[in-house]
Amino acid sequence: MTTHELEEFLAPMRHEYADPRSLILPALRYAQGDAGWLDPQAMAAVAEATGFSQAYVESVASFYDRLYLEPVGRRVINVCVTLSCMLRGSDEIFEHLADYLGLDGEGTTDDGMFSLHKVQCIGACDRAPCLQIDAGQQIGPLEPADATCLVDDLREAAAPARYDR
Amino acid sequence: MPVLNSVFRHREFGDHLTSLVEYERAGGYLGLQGTLAMSPDDALYAFHRSGLRGRGGAGFPMGRKASFLPKDTGKPTYIVCNADESEPGTFKDREIIEHNPFQLIEGMTIAGYAVGCERAYIYIRGEYGVQGEVLAAAITEAREAGRLGPDALGPGRPFDITLYRGAGAYICGEETALLESLEGKRGQPRLKPPFPAVAGLYGCPTLINNVETLAALPPIMHRGPDWYAAMGNEKSPGTKLFSVSGHVLKPGNFEIVLGETTLRELIYDLAGGLREGREVKAVWPGGSSVPVIGRESLDVPLDYETLNGVGTFLGSGGCIVMDDSGCIVRASWRLAQFYRHESCGKCTPCREGTGWLAKILGRMVHGEGRGEEDIRMLESLFGRISGRTLCPLADGAVMPVQSALNLFRDEFVRVASEGSPRPEPMMETPVG
Repeated sequence: MTTHELEEFLAPMRHEYADPRSLILPALRYAQGDAGWLDPQAMAAVAEATGFSQAYVESVASFYDRLYLEPVGRRVINVCVTLSCMLRGSDEIFEHLADYLGLDGEGTTDDGMFSLHKVQCIGACDRAPCLQIDAGQQIGPLEPADATCLVDDLREAAAPARYDR
Repeated sequence: MPVLNSVFRHREFGDHLTSLVEYERAGGYLGLQGTLAMSPDDALYAFHRSGLRGRGGAGFPMGRKASFLPKDTGKPTYIVCNADESEPGTFKDREIIEHNPFQLIEGMTIAGYAVGCERAYIYIRGEYGVQGEVLAAAITEAREAGRLGPDALGPGRPFDITLYRGAGAYICGEETALLESLEGKRGQPRLKPPFPAVAGLYGCPTLINNVETLAALPPIMHRGPDWYAAMGNEKSPGTKLFSVSGHVLKPGNFEIVLGETTLRELIYDLAGGLREGREVKAVWPGGSSVPVIGRESLDVPLDYETLNGVGTFLGSGGCIVMDDSGCIVRASWRLAQFYRHESCGKCTPCREGTGWLAKILGRMVHGEGRGEEDIRMLESLFGRISGRTLCPLADGAVMPVQSALNLFRDEFVRVASEGSPRPEPMMETPVG
């Protein structure tokens, strides 16, 4: 992610905000689209393109769950574990996926393909138990076998051109 | 149950109104047309007369909130739509956005005319990626058709909407935290007053409303505030979307007239009831941040005041149902983990207190509890968290746990000394 690319992305929206500080979050989201996480180069680009210090930009980024300050897998599997999903078996789905991916709880597979995360309510309790790949559609109701099929399909699929997490 | 005049057009005219043409064919933009024929003050008065209350959780009268905006300040006035729907158990705004985005856009335009706003924002949670795309496409389509842009409110009278995507933080549904986030800061709540109506976005007068609230305006302005006010009862007029989830056979969203449907009817008639042989054990009727109630309260009619009468809140309408296969301590622990995760860390009682709630409930569930000592410690925590923070997140963390302990004390005492093995989850596929 270069500063120039980010500036081009931000240019058409600058007039929509009375304070350029509001550009930081869209810039962070966009910058993360490249590598799937906010590497130091992306942080520096956001700071430069928005005109705020890198320390400030990082302090904002660190507040939000879906901005990653450390590398994550090519796809992030977000399993909702809040109450409605728990009542319908989300813990079992999570454990099944962790087993299948060879992970001991949350984490990233050795080949860098997948990160498995427990997340809080993703607003799809009617589809409980549900999960979400990156910020994609909420998928459910899931049985353990569905969840592993999903992973197999993803393993075959190409990485997205840009990440939306 | 009475037959419903639906407020949300996709529910009345087939379930997908995602193009402007379809929306207009279903009566879309008649509300704005009627609004533009009256003065902004008359429009505000119509909001007020409808009795519409904020649907995000607090239930504050929408017209009154809009009337708090000062005029002639020399500053711009903003409208911010809160689409950060993150309250556990709540997925009604997602339905409106996915199936009927133009009704929200029209509602915001109507509100924009009434309060004199030219630039509005929709703050949508980062996890709603697909829903964000639906909204972005609808905004573009409305702009291309001239429904948004330089002449949206008539020749030379601009109104436009900017979509702003969050990045994963429950607290950003709290209105002042939302404003902080929209201003490019960490999403931590502000001290009130000043309220957003006076000093909101960029220090300017700002009207913040939930998706469901703003989307209710077009039919109110088209069919008239009296039509809306005639539904429900005096203090809780109109209809409300309830999201029902958990141990019910047919989870989903249901629109009901306030005050006319009981919790039992919502669960058994609309949401398909429970599995054979199961009974309701606990219900969080308004999202997870409200006191839990038991099966003795099932015959309560769903409206703001009556639910207060049984010690809980209507909240966001996110109704989570647990049957008698569930463990109330385990459920409380899971909610405590939610609030611990989502506490923004600004206020010590919340930052530390939610951690202790989760820790104590966790050790109880895992058979490492300390019996009566843990019960006493829980009880001593509630008052040290509640009412001692800038925003209501901390109260929301305490209320479900405190009410659960009051209602199911014996179970808490037992789990505190014996633990609670994980129950079998419900595996039935939802029907319908």
